[in-house]
Amino acid sequence: MLFFSFFKTLIDHEVTVELKNDIQIRGILKSVDQYLNIKLEDISVVEEIKYPHMSAVKSAFIRGSVVRYVHLPAAAVDIPLLEDATRREASIHAGKAK
Amino acid sequence: MSFFGFDTPRHNPAATGFSQVHNPFAGLSGQDNEGEALEFEDTYDGLGDQLEETNDAFNDDTFGDDSAAVKGPVGKDFDFFGQTAKVSNAIEEEHVRFQRQVPTARVAQSAARVAQQPFSQTVPAAASYNYPTQSVSKPARSGYEKYSQEPVEELQVDAALWGVAPKKHTAPAPAPAPTAVPAPTQTVFYAAAPSSAPAGRKILSLEEVEAQMRAQAKRPLHQAASSPAPPQPQVQLHQAHPQMHYEQSYQYAHPVQPQVNAQADDLRPKEHSYHLGQTQPQPVYPAQTQPVMILQRPQSKHAPSPQPPIQHSVHQRQQSATPAQPTQILQNPNRLSGDAAKLGIPSHPTPPTQINPPTHPVHRQQDSFHMHPSQMMVHPSLLGQFSEEDKVAYLDQEAKRAKRNHKIYQMSRDNGIMTPQDKNFITRIQLQQLVAATGNPNEHGTDEAFAEDFYYQVHNQIQGGHRQHPSQPLNNFAQTYLFQTGSRQGGLRRQHRGPENHMQRMEQQVQRAVEAAKNKPKNKQLVIEGSLGKISFSNAKTPKPLLNIKRNDSASEANRPGSAHRTHTLNGRDRKSELRSIELVYTTLMKMEDHDRIMPPRPANDIDTKAIHDFIAWNNEAQALNQQLWKALRVHDRPDSNNVHPFIALLSYSKGMKAMQRIFRRTSQEQRITILTLIVVNFDTLDVVRNAQATTGEMQLNAAMRENVELFSASVMSTLFNIMNELELNLVAGVLGLVCSRNVDVIAKSRIGVAMLTMILSRAEIIKQSSGGTADAWHSWDATYMQFFNLLEPTLPHVFPGTVNSGDDIYVWQFLAAIGIEASPDQQSRLVLAVKDRVMDTVTLAKTLPQDLATPRLQNVNLFMRSIGLDVELLQ
Repeated sequence: MLFFSFFKTLIDHEVTVELKNDIQIRGILKSVDQYLNIKLEDISVVEEIKYPHMSAVKSAFIRGSVVRYVHLPAAAVDIPLLEDATRREASIHAGKAK
Repeated sequence: MSFFGFDTPRHNPAATGFSQVHNPFAGLSGQDNEGEALEFEDTYDGLGDQLEETNDAFNDDTFGDDSAAVKGPVGKDFDFFGQTAKVSNAIEEEHVRFQRQVPTARVAQSAARVAQQPFSQTVPAAASYNYPTQSVSKPARSGYEKYSQEPVEELQVDAALWGVAPKKHTAPAPAPAPTAVPAPTQTVFYAAAPSSAPAGRKILSLEEVEAQMRAQAKRPLHQAASSPAPPQPQVQLHQAHPQMHYEQSYQYAHPVQPQVNAQADDLRPKEHSYHLGQTQPQPVYPAQTQPVMILQRPQSKHAPSPQPPIQHSVHQRQQSATPAQPTQILQNPNRLSGDAAKLGIPSHPTPPTQINPPTHPVHRQQDSFHMHPSQMMVHPSLLGQFSEEDKVAYLDQEAKRAKRNHKIYQMSRDNGIMTPQDKNFITRIQLQQLVAATGNPNEHGTDEAFAEDFYYQVHNQIQGGHRQHPSQPLNNFAQTYLFQTGSRQGGLRRQHRGPENHMQRMEQQVQRAVEAAKNKPKNKQLVIEGSLGKISFSNAKTPKPLLNIKRNDSASEANRPGSAHRTHTLNGRDRKSELRSIELVYTTLMKMEDHDRIMPPRPANDIDTKAIHDFIAWNNEAQALNQQLWKALRVHDRPDSNNVHPFIALLSYSKGMKAMQRIFRRTSQEQRITILTLIVVNFDTLDVVRNAQATTGEMQLNAAMRENVELFSASVMSTLFNIMNELELNLVAGVLGLVCSRNVDVIAKSRIGVAMLTMILSRAEIIKQSSGGTADAWHSWDATYMQFFNLLEPTLPHVFPGTVNSGDDIYVWQFLAAIGIEASPDQQSRLVLAVKDRVMDTVTLAKTLPQDLATPRLQNVNLFMRSIGLDVELLQ
């Protein structure tokens, strides 16, 4: 849930989603779900010349399983909080494992 | 009075008519008798054969079943019958009322049920059509009592549907006549309907009654002969043709009708009595007086609905279709006649004994709401016209159909017993049990959910929480969480009421159940009792283990070859255990923060013992956590020989440094000072001091160390600065004394050390300026300062980092200024001597630099110069 929780805070921020097929899509993150499916709006493909078929697309729903990376806006990430959230997540899972 | 000599009131019978067998073509023969030579082949267009009836059996599934009285309202969903729906409430009321009125009816009905009289309902229903209370005597089958009991109320048809002028509906009885319209031969009745209406009215008039009575004078006689007991007229009726009343009516009009048999004759008078409801010889009928009531029935109820609203939807559909599509109905004479029978409409005179073979009674009874097998029966007279082959084929077909219908009925008997709501309800119960069995993850409260979504929740509070709830304290995120869920659910609740809410709850429960199932530790193996082996389960995530090697965790840890390498030994320290202790500190801190969140409100007064108790308990817990933290910090641990203090070791990691601010927030002042003391005492062993010594050459520090120094000054030094600013002079002097006890040279040559010293000296200066501190304290301070200065003096020329050109020495000038302020004139001159070279170099360099670069450097130098009463200007 940590990633879901984290990505929810990035809603309405600009992110770049790098797909497993190497396409990088930059757009405003509009929604994310527990599968980390991503909805982007106002998208632009980073290497537009390489993927002309994407030039007309203005919004995209990306299945979570095809995402390789999400480039985050550093300013929108609260690092200490994220660290703590990670600790909590780890402790929850540690508790579950027992 | 009646058209074609039919006795109109007798045309109304058999409201339900479920068991009634109809000859769809009976009307033809009737017309034959009228002298209109109509052949079946001429009139029957054959469209009926084209009907797709194979799926009719599933009409129940589509339109719901009418088996239960509860289903009455469901029938309204199919508003084919607007008028019926309008009065449905009244119907329900009437139903209840009537049931109360005639409790004995049920007894009779149940008795009849036992008797399994297939045709028992026909006549009673017919009778009750006009006079509901007479249904008392009627035997009825289960599920359909209602129809026979309250036929009049329920049968309030919207006569307008048939385009009949309102005035024609003034008579209560005749309305069913129009429903007979659909049958091909019944078009006559359609025309007759208007005329029959007044007739029905007349029947109830005195003259009519008298006439009827006269006509039935012989009735008791017949009855005595034919029917053994009044309450069981159905026996006779059973023997007789179910459509007997048709026959009778016909006979009524045509007394010389040769087809009438004696039995029907016998029954006829009795039926009359039913219809009229006046000459009932059976005193057990409680509702004998009902006819009067019926006469007084308001006009609005005159048009009797031929169909109770709760009746089968198929029927409803047909009925509703009746007025609008008469031609269609004509094309389906079989069904229509069946309908007509159900409606108690006398459609065709039928030879009584032939058409309804006694072999079909069960089918007829059971299939009453489906197709009547016998409905397909061709009129015997017509049958007679068939060739022998056709006859056999036809009968064979009929038998097949009957068999099929029976089967379908058997299978669909329980169709529609549960409403969708019922099913929904059951599913919910099952899910609840599932959730209860597996444990509801939500029952752990918001904390659990909060832990799952920690980042988002807190981030929202920090970032956006203010906007939404300016008044809400930031730290109280439980409330925020509550509000969020509340608004979410509230909004939905407002939007979706009813079934969608159901569905939503269902979904939630499913989700919860799934989650719970997920959380539940899975048993990976199943050992069936008595079996010789185990069954291992596998799935994508945890494949079935082919090898089951038991591994001792501790042993494997030690034996693993890489483990020795992995444990970094940093200056003889165990990096892993240090990191682990930092994590322990963090865990404890988070526990404390969680604990803070549930802080009970401070008891407002002494009376609220529970609040006080809560508060005390909370405080105790907080104390325990504080001790836990203190222990985790290992402040009081003795360092091993040659090793740095464990707490200082924590400060060599960036996350250890970051923890400092939070640690200080959760510790008492005393503990903070202890920590400060500990840090100062071990200052020269700090990584950021020891490994960040200033050198005369170019900057030697690597990026990681620079970063650490930055972080240390940002997180630890700033925290210490806050404490320092609250220290009294004697403590400040004590701190300085501690510094003196350490390696001042090392401390002064590090940036952090210099900052620390600056901090101490400036605090003393501030106390001096605010004329704080006691004389004793000042005395001890002066002595300590003297000692410090002596220790520092040899190092002073070397405190500058890098060369003059690097220009990264402002903190040193600040430090020198702090020393200069405190210094005595003698010390000042020694100070100037010590740093003279650097001052001169900087001034010289500044002359070669452009103005904008030179100015800040000179200002830095001036910072020191002014502290000792000089100025850079003097040097230029």
